[in-house]
Amino acid sequence: MAKMNRSGSATPPDGGWGWMIVAGCFLVTICTRAVTRCISIFFVEFQTYFSQDYSQTAWIHSIVDCMTMLCAPLGSVVSNHLSCQVGIILGGLLASTGFILSSFATSLKHLYLTLGVLTGLGFALCYSPAIAMVGKYFSRRKALAYGLAMSGSGIGTFILAPVVQLLIERFSWQGALLILGGFVLNLCVCGALMRPLAVKEDHSSPEQNHTCLNEKEDSKRTSPYSPFTKEWVQTCLCGSLQQEYSFLLMTDFVVLAISVLFMAYGCSPLFVYLVPYALSVGVSYQQAAFLMSILGVIDIVGNITFGWLTDRRCLKNYRYICYLFALGLDGLCYLCLPMLQSLALLVPFSCIFGYFDGAYVTLIPVVTAEIVGTTSLSSALGVIYFLHAVPYLVSPPIAGWLMDKTGSYTASFLLCGFSMVFSSVLLGFARLVKKMKRTQLQFLAKESEPKLQLWTNGSVAYSVARELDKKDEEALATAVPGYDLT
Amino acid sequence: MHAFTGLWGPGTTRAPPAGRLLLLLLFLQAATRPSWGDPADSEFTSLPVRDEMIAKYSNLPLETHNISLTEHVSTPVEKNITLEKASKVELACQLTTSGDVNAVNVTWKQGDELLPNNFVINTTGNTVYTQYTFTIINSKQMGDYSCFFGEEKERRGTFKIKVPQLHGKNKPLITYVGDSTILMCKCEGCHPLNWTWYRMNESAQVPIDTHLDDKYVINGTYANETKLRIKQLLEDDKGLYSCHAVFQLGESEDHVELVVLSFLVPLKPFIAIVAEVFILVTIILLCEVYTKKKKQGPDDGKEFEQIEQLKSDDSNGIENKAPRLRKTESVDQ
Repeated sequence: MAKMNRSGSATPPDGGWGWMIVAGCFLVTICTRAVTRCISIFFVEFQTYFSQDYSQTAWIHSIVDCMTMLCAPLGSVVSNHLSCQVGIILGGLLASTGFILSSFATSLKHLYLTLGVLTGLGFALCYSPAIAMVGKYFSRRKALAYGLAMSGSGIGTFILAPVVQLLIERFSWQGALLILGGFVLNLCVCGALMRPLAVKEDHSSPEQNHTCLNEKEDSKRTSPYSPFTKEWVQTCLCGSLQQEYSFLLMTDFVVLAISVLFMAYGCSPLFVYLVPYALSVGVSYQQAAFLMSILGVIDIVGNITFGWLTDRRCLKNYRYICYLFALGLDGLCYLCLPMLQSLALLVPFSCIFGYFDGAYVTLIPVVTAEIVGTTSLSSALGVIYFLHAVPYLVSPPIAGWLMDKTGSYTASFLLCGFSMVFSSVLLGFARLVKKMKRTQLQFLAKESEPKLQLWTNGSVAYSVARELDKKDEEALATAVPGYDLT
Repeated sequence: MHAFTGLWGPGTTRAPPAGRLLLLLLFLQAATRPSWGDPADSEFTSLPVRDEMIAKYSNLPLETHNISLTEHVSTPVEKNITLEKASKVELACQLTTSGDVNAVNVTWKQGDELLPNNFVINTTGNTVYTQYTFTIINSKQMGDYSCFFGEEKERRGTFKIKVPQLHGKNKPLITYVGDSTILMCKCEGCHPLNWTWYRMNESAQVPIDTHLDDKYVINGTYANETKLRIKQLLEDDKGLYSCHAVFQLGESEDHVELVVLSFLVPLKPFIAIVAEVFILVTIILLCEVYTKKKKQGPDDGKEFEQIEQLKSDDSNGIENKAPRLRKTESVDQ
């Protein structure tokens, strides 16, 4: 019992070593997201060397992206059970090995395996633990820290694209992949930076782990090869996994997960189809490339400034609403896109869309942390990024199919726009329902008998009077902060 | 050559069959005699007569090109023409002038040589129109043909007649020892008669021998491209390679530079980066261990005190269980 309050400091430092964590996460986003985008620069070389067409080589990019997102939960499991540092260092070694092996590739299938699967797995082990770590170190300036960390993908793409081009020109794709493998090894440096912070744990988890460990030790002492040890281990593992993923049953989280599905469906086709759409309305090739660069740069600006903005005291309690707002605005931009038929209209579109795209990307970890708390943040982020995978994979081909069927981009853009607006509306609706329920039950709580003693500043409440319904108790827990069920 | 074009001027495309035999005899005689005109013509007359006959009597494709000039033109107007096969060419120039159209002196030149007066001149209203027709059957006839209006150098139009040019990459091709590579040459919309590859060896072009032990293979999927495949690259294989496209009316060539690197070349930056990562990771982990030790040092004493206090609490606490519970749990926040 006394062991519960021995874990050390409770408050996140909001500075100090936290900024090193932000720098580490920044480097992780560069090495994972930016490098993934730069892999497409190699496609022309692969096409000529292996004599394959574009669609075959483009699979490599899809495999890496998909693996990074699909294995995100694996990354959070590894970092939870071993340690964040070990997880990221392992991921860095894996990704680097993937690149080095791919420089010796003799066919496109080898590249699918090494550059696609192995590298994607390595990136997955690094990405969500690093982002979760930033959340643990910051609370007051969380959004700004996330903004700075996530801006790595934009800035990294900007810097790495010409560098990769130069490497290919000097060393050909084999040498370039080898050197890129060395660059990706810097993920190990980021991993070393991720010093674990002792955070106060929940009441229930150390108890369960404690009992698990005790039972394990007892059984080991009696007979190490007893058939019961396996059972104990299994139940302990199931128990701890159950504990880790208990947030999956929270309605708030389920609503967020569904909205993320729709959001991921909506946001990915734009980066693929903006240039072809611009060319189809008569914009020249250089101007279309300029639109993409504007999108990239404003994305970075949106990341950092929106993060700083939502950290201000006036907006801090409304981060959820800011996230909704950014998402909804992006959806509306999408809906207006088919009406924008000239460069003069597409430039402001790029600016607005890019800004709010950067904005909501920054707020995803913040909103997740608000819902599940910092201890489960790593696993929750793993699940959230896992939910990004299938829409990312599926959405551009569906948009392409719609475009082929109808002959214009209108249908696909409208679908994506509605998807994003729906995701934003869903979140807003859920929040509204929750608020209504809360006000209802606060009313209910005020009217209850005086014998019901609720210590609002304590963590224990003795309900002496009548028994409340299970549902009402739960609702009371959310309505009255600090009420704990015993 | 000029004599021939004089004979077969504009308007005459075919001679009647009887006349053909006569002409054939005449040609045969001319072929055996020393050349008529300039020494330059001797090469032309030594060409096989049969080819000339075939060229003259088969239906050659017709190429028509126009240049329009205005009175006040500051720079001479140029037009590029690409020809690969023997064809009939009609070049026309048109000048719009406000002055006296009849006073304009029209001349045609090939390069710097003045061409004889076998071109058409028409004047209507304010425009002077001139047309020069001839047949191109060999590479000597390629070049720049210009029409001049008057004595000024500026009032002219130039037709640049060339064989199709090859478009190649200006960047060197980088490969590694032991690898195989494909050098490619292509031209747009052209059908060369033949492709040949050479290797530049100290200012001399050495043709590439494909029959020697399978190292070099030349093939091309389409007529307008050629691929040279080199297997088992060695460092000596580096250098400049050139591909020649042979047309009926000439040749055009392109160069590709091949660079063969050993695998140690990219390995050096890679090892440098790995060393940097290793050093940084070691420094950071050592720093972490050092700060942990520093923190644990003064804290050890405090923890020991706390343990002592709790031990004493435990031993006395049996009677005071209820109030003690409350106290520890309120501390627990």
